[in-house]
Amino acid sequence: MLETRNLDKSFGAVHVTRNVSLKLERGERRVILGPNGAGKTTLFNQLVGELTPDSGSVHLAGEDVTALPVAKRARRGLSRSYQKNTLFDGLTVEENLGLAAAVHTGHATRLWSDSLSKPEVREIVGEVAEQVKLMPFLHAKVSEISYGVRRQLEVGVALATRPLVLLMDEPTSGVGPEMSKGFHDLLNNLPRDLTMLIIEHDMDLAFDVADTITVLNYGEVVFDGLPEKARGSSLLKEIYLGSWENA
Amino acid sequence: MFRHNTLRYVALILLAAGALFQAFTAEYFGLEILTEILILAMLVLALDIVAGFGGMVSLCHGALMGGGAYAYAIFTTKAGIAPPVAMAGAIALTGAAAWVIGAIGSRSHGIYFIMATLAFGQMAYSYVFETPIFGGDDGLGGISRLDLSFIGVDLNDSRSFALFCLAVLGTVYGTSVVILRSGLGRSLTGVMHNEQRMRALGLTVWRVKADVFGLSGMIAGLAGALAAQHIMYISPGLLSWTVSGEALVVVILGGLGTLVGPLIGAAAFVVLKHELSSVTTYWHLVVGVILIAVVMSRANGIFGWIEARWGDRLDRRLADATRKTEEVLTDA
Ligand SMILES: Nc1ncnc2c1ncn2[C@@H]1O[C@H](COP(=O)(O)OP(=O)(O)OP(=O)(O)O)[C@@H](O)[C@H]1O
Ligand SMILES: [Mg+2]
Repeated sequence: MLETRNLDKSFGAVHVTRNVSLKLERGERRVILGPNGAGKTTLFNQLVGELTPDSGSVHLAGEDVTALPVAKRARRGLSRSYQKNTLFDGLTVEENLGLAAAVHTGHATRLWSDSLSKPEVREIVGEVAEQVKLMPFLHAKVSEISYGVRRQLEVGVALATRPLVLLMDEPTSGVGPEMSKGFHDLLNNLPRDLTMLIIEHDMDLAFDVADTITVLNYGEVVFDGLPEKARGSSLLKEIYLGSWENA
Repeated sequence: MFRHNTLRYVALILLAAGALFQAFTAEYFGLEILTEILILAMLVLALDIVAGFGGMVSLCHGALMGGGAYAYAIFTTKAGIAPPVAMAGAIALTGAAAWVIGAIGSRSHGIYFIMATLAFGQMAYSYVFETPIFGGDDGLGGISRLDLSFIGVDLNDSRSFALFCLAVLGTVYGTSVVILRSGLGRSLTGVMHNEQRMRALGLTVWRVKADVFGLSGMIAGLAGALAAQHIMYISPGLLSWTVSGEALVVVILGGLGTLVGPLIGAAAFVVLKHELSSVTTYWHLVVGVILIAVVMSRANGIFGWIEARWGDRLDRRLADATRKTEEVLTDA
């Protein structure tokens, strides 16, 4: 469904992505682990097209999309959420979801009708609000909801384009353990055929949702495999101890 | 997202009533001022659409309006094209020019976008100024108005022309609302709030900006074609960047992104200009002080200030009243 081949990227002398090859099957839920600065977000940026890799390629549903701009990749079914909330701040939760659903349904560029009141758009907004538990907040502005709820909306907006592949950059970053757990239940309840790539810091939570795990360190894939294997690996123990430098 | 609230409807009704009253009771000079307000109102609506709902602060809207005026003048006086066709042509031309400016400017933001639009405006200004067919500094005269005699209206009469402009302004307002409430308009507002996210969702951002800028340019062109008919004489000064600057002042004075505010701003600005300039040659100074006061007050212009105070309250009162009426009706 989503594949990278020998992706490589440097910022000046800093080599942030080193020969990364990943392959996600349809419906696969893969968690990316790695310490701060490992290049996880930079990898996402290359996957969606916000950054151009120095070399290597990105493939979506069997097609090479490396040369496609962000919007075109998105329209082919690639959607992402951000590590730092990237929402429509002055607007309501409903409008945030509606703008995304409007793009997906093709109503976002029409002049003769209101995208937000279209039945197809409203249907998606309702479904997504249900999926990410935003029903009680639909009419609240982003500025009026709590940080945790904003994190839910961050994923909701990405989901409202009805993607084939959903990339989530630390969806639970900054929220408490209670809410974090709820978040993972929510992810587990998403449709099984949705392919997901999730950057996560908390290992236990990662094991909650992961079919497969990739570990990045200094821009390099240092582990790629099943969670059971990862659990036993000495490498991941190092993450627990937080002493990656010695790994 | 644009929406009407009770206060906005009330303001619109008051404005329309005021304009109608003025149109039927005023003498020649009052009618001229009214028409000037109505045409300026169209220009500032065009500007508010892009600046207030798309974050595209333009300093070329004066030039677009001037372009519309010159196009209409050339089409009718030099090419012998019938006024209605000439108006349609002028609108199409400025719309196309604005679309191109919007497309090229779509990649730049903030001050850089402003500078890009300023550059386009200045290019248009010097082109008109230097090209002989446009009459250079002398401008063009002998411009005729639309002929509506087939419905018994003589637009050469100031009152009829003012009423005609009022009707056009009403249509322009309605069109602006349609644009802002459309999928395109909603997406533009999304882009203003977060361009990166809209792109990540799959929106071709530059197209949305260009399309709305083009539509806004059409409205500016229409205002220009009417301005040419109003004064019946045009000069390059119409394309000057100061016209764009004034339009921006009016939008900010009235309330950026409120659509109703700029209408109030246009009326306030023109009335102030005429009242003050008859008293002092320093009227710009007074307008400047007022603008500074408005900006310093941190309110969103005159209408923004009113709305912050009474907007919600009025809606709540109305909701209460409706509920009570319903209760009374169901009891009965
Ligand atoms: N635009 C940029 N220019 C220069 N260096 C950058 C840029 N973006 C990221 N980097 C560097 O690349 C490295 C990887 O950053 P990245 O944000 O991908 O890490 P990460 O794994 O997402 O970390 P975190 O867990 O803190 O989010 C860091 O050293 C960062 O400073
Ligand atoms: Mg990161």
